[in-house]
Amino acid sequence: MASVRAREHRCVTAISAIELTKRFGDLVAVDGLSFDVAAGTVTGFLGPNGAGKTTTLRMLLGLAEPTGGRALVFGRPFAELERPATRVGAVLEAGDLHPGRSGRDHLRVLAAAARLPRSRVDEVLALVDLTTAGNRRVAGYSLGMRQRLSLAAALLGEPELLLLDEPGNGLDPEGVRWLRDFMRAFASASGTVFVSSHHLAEIEDTVDHVVVIDHGRLVADAPLAQFTAGAHSLEDAFLDLTTGRVS
Amino acid sequence: MTAQLRSELLKLRTTRTMALLMLGAAALTLFAICVEGISPATGKLAQEQTQRELLSAVTSGVLFATFAGLLAVTSEFRYGTIRPTLLIEPRRRVVLMAKLAAAALAGIVIGAVSVAVAFGGGSAVLAVRGVDFAVNGPHSLELGLGAVAVAALSAVIGAAVGALIRNQSGAILALVIYAFVVDAVLFAAIPSLGRFLPGKAGDALLGRPVDHLLAPGAGAIVLALWALAFVVATTLRISRSDV
Repeated sequence: MASVRAREHRCVTAISAIELTKRFGDLVAVDGLSFDVAAGTVTGFLGPNGAGKTTTLRMLLGLAEPTGGRALVFGRPFAELERPATRVGAVLEAGDLHPGRSGRDHLRVLAAAARLPRSRVDEVLALVDLTTAGNRRVAGYSLGMRQRLSLAAALLGEPELLLLDEPGNGLDPEGVRWLRDFMRAFASASGTVFVSSHHLAEIEDTVDHVVVIDHGRLVADAPLAQFTAGAHSLEDAFLDLTTGRVS
Repeated sequence: MTAQLRSELLKLRTTRTMALLMLGAAALTLFAICVEGISPATGKLAQEQTQRELLSAVTSGVLFATFAGLLAVTSEFRYGTIRPTLLIEPRRRVVLMAKLAAAALAGIVIGAVSVAVAFGGGSAVLAVRGVDFAVNGPHSLELGLGAVAVAALSAVIGAAVGALIRNQSGAILALVIYAFVVDAVLFAAIPSLGRFLPGKAGDALLGRPVDHLLAPGAGAIVLALWALAFVVATTLRISRSDV
């Protein structure tokens, strides 16, 4: 019942950044950034290295405190969500895994905190194809396996919204295709994906909408078709914007 | 809170760190018992006072318990697992309290290992030396329960210090410098001040026969106040800073 009611009342806006600002001393990492992510879309979050993508994601997830402005998820600061694992899943760039713990135990630890049944651990392990490797310690995992394990952790609570920070890093071409299909399937099951990437070509086939930032500021927020209109590809449009060239 | 505590306890059980610390505590306790049990003459070893000193090997677990708390927290920052943890439970004070409670339980387990090895090993050494066990019930109880209490409080302090410093190598260095330099030097130089340090308060709690120490009850209060001070400081910091 509770979940039915939650879905009925779901905001059409999954993510809102409102005049979001983050300063580290003199460095302005994110500078008055405002954008919305509509529920049910796959939105690409693009920008060169150091543009402030990861900092923005960390503020959206309540891991970093904004210096100014607001970072909202489903209309609320992340920390005010009830059982956030059932609404939002996230994969951050670093991997964030203890090398001495097995993949399965990593998920069991998180499932216990989220009050999810043990069976979910086996389900998400199977989903990312780590059922056998799950009993091994993470120290022996490849980068791609760590990414898949992190994705499994994000999916534990069957969230409506996924935030992915460079999820393609370390994946082989097969893994990249798997990830692309996964994101599309997730969105067509009325989920929302907000995915940062510098692999522009890999994003192009996947996203409906793009948010582009540079030096912490918004430079584009548009449907993919509109964004790439007049340019040969997403990459051209992106480079035109972020290098200051006028096409 | 109970879900988070269950998660924190599962974290402790799913790496090798705790098992290694328990092993370390057991080994150091046994070593202390052997050294202290072999050197005294048989007549001296028959005295209760000497046997109480022998059994003060129960404190060998304290440093390992402190490390258990310290590593439980700093490993989360070192490997970044603090982030997935906070994505599931964003209320940082709930996570911190669960971590401190888990650290206290880890301290109790490590303390109990040390007590068991000290009393078991001590009895064995005395039997080998042909001397009767002379420590009376109240003193045995004081040593046993005291050591477990000191280990639990030390693990809480270790966890709180770990959350304050965050950097694992830095926190380990700070603890080692404190335990082997500050604690000993300050107490030797200015005992009236040094006896209020957490290490010396712990020794006092155990009723160790060392000059200038506080009374056992006062030692217990001082050590508990240290733990409380570190917990409050950590609570203030963890709710504000970025991870």
